Amino acid sequence: MSSSIEFRNLFDTRLLPVLQELEQKRKKIIGKFFTYGSAYLFLCVAVVFVFNSKLKTDTAIIVLIVSVIVGIIGFFAFFRKDISEIKNVFKNKIIHEMIRYIDKSLLYSPTGFIQQYEYLESKLFLTQPQRYSGEDIVAGKLKDTQIKFSEIHSEYYTKDKKGNKTWHTIFRGLFFIADFNKHFKGETVVLPDTAEKLFGSFGSFFQKMNVSRNQLIKLEDPEFEKEFAVYGTDQIEARYILSTKLMRRILDFKNKAGKKVYLSFTNSKLFVAVPVNRNLFEAPFFSSMIDFELIAEYYRYIELMVGIVEELDLNTRIWTKE
Amino acid sequence: MITGLIAAGILLLIIAGIYNSLVRKRNDVENAFGSIDTMLKKRYDLIPNLVETVKAYMKHEKETLTGITELRAKAVSGNISSDEKVQLENQISGAMRGIMVAVENYPDLKANDQFGMIQRSWNEAEEQISAARRAFNAAVTEFNNAVETFPSNILAGMFNFKRKQVFEIPDTERKNIIAKEMFGN
Repeated sequence: MSSSIEFRNLFDTRLLPVLQELEQKRKKIIGKFFTYGSAYLFLCVAVVFVFNSKLKTDTAIIVLIVSVIVGIIGFFAFFRKDISEIKNVFKNKIIHEMIRYIDKSLLYSPTGFIQQYEYLESKLFLTQPQRYSGEDIVAGKLKDTQIKFSEIHSEYYTKDKKGNKTWHTIFRGLFFIADFNKHFKGETVVLPDTAEKLFGSFGSFFQKMNVSRNQLIKLEDPEFEKEFAVYGTDQIEARYILSTKLMRRILDFKNKAGKKVYLSFTNSKLFVAVPVNRNLFEAPFFSSMIDFELIAEYYRYIELMVGIVEELDLNTRIWTKE
Repeated sequence: MITGLIAAGILLLIIAGIYNSLVRKRNDVENAFGSIDTMLKKRYDLIPNLVETVKAYMKHEKETLTGITELRAKAVSGNISSDEKVQLENQISGAMRGIMVAVENYPDLKANDQFGMIQRSWNEAEEQISAARRAFNAAVTEFNNAVETFPSNILAGMFNFKRKQVFEIPDTERKNIIAKEMFGN
């Protein structure tokens, strides 16, 4: 694929020099960790050895383990600034460079994220989150279409009999918002279809029973129906939005993403959520910075998100919305 | 005795449920059919505006324009059979296609903002008509499935619920889609 050759080129010419610099800094810190660490460990062992006669073996081991843990925590607290500097440079140089490479007009903020009210506006996830966070927002206008996306993580908790909280993830991954190219009034939600996949045609019975959602909308594309369940406030409007072409395009996008995909159309906007079960766009610290595969993966995720505009044909403005 | 009554009662409830669902599905079909009409009307309403805008530019297409106006008047007059309606619909689509091709010869018109807006509205109306038809077909399929599958088919037979025809896109409509593609550019 040409895009992977392009990326290779970008990596070699623009990213590699920065990565090499960062890698040196990282190695320095890791080096210090081993030097100081072994000295500290030696000291701990020595102290325990000196007082050995007064302590029982069990206690000695516990003291040793505790001091090692305290040592590691202390070390990272001491070098926190240096480590976070490496991580910041990684985001501001590497991630930002990749985003600018994909489209110059895109802006990036490592700490910004899609706000909770926007997440709720999408109607994709109905559980009220009790904890909501995010990072790495990208925003901009691609031709006629305003877009933004970021990582987000929404959670709720349950309490057991003793009152201990357990946190559960509602959604974690990439959340994308774009201005849609058609006008509409109602809500249409496209969810990955689990019922129909498991139970075949009997599954649509369960879909209808889904009381928390609007009317079930059965679409004529069998492949689309197999992958997704569509709920909406208006049968015709849902079909106006989900034209036969757009259904095909959504399927293609889903295959390209290789993951579950959630889409919704409310307030004249398109929302897309792609679950990713880990923290993206982070610098590796305990392994080499010069990790082509990892950075290529970050690149693919950015490309996937930005590509939604092309993929779902959002720049075709032949309807009354300009 | 009592168990018999209860069984009969339950059976009656089931029958009533199936019957109601059949009626509901039939109403959905009628409702969906009605909305196609609404959408078609929305498109007809664009015609006077279009003719008005285009008239000043298209000196050589006067006849076609008058023709379209007349067809529209007939289509919205109301007292026509559905066969006639389909025919009118096809004629209007055909004439519109002619106009949209002719637009290519009038660069001034193509650049006109108002004409651009009407084109966009026209595309929207077309897309909505297609959505309404698809909604209608979905409702018909739902209804037909109920009429032909067990156990609702028994009741459907008893109460004379008959299978309904889905909307097939006539050839001219397919060409219409090509015309629509041209609109876009």
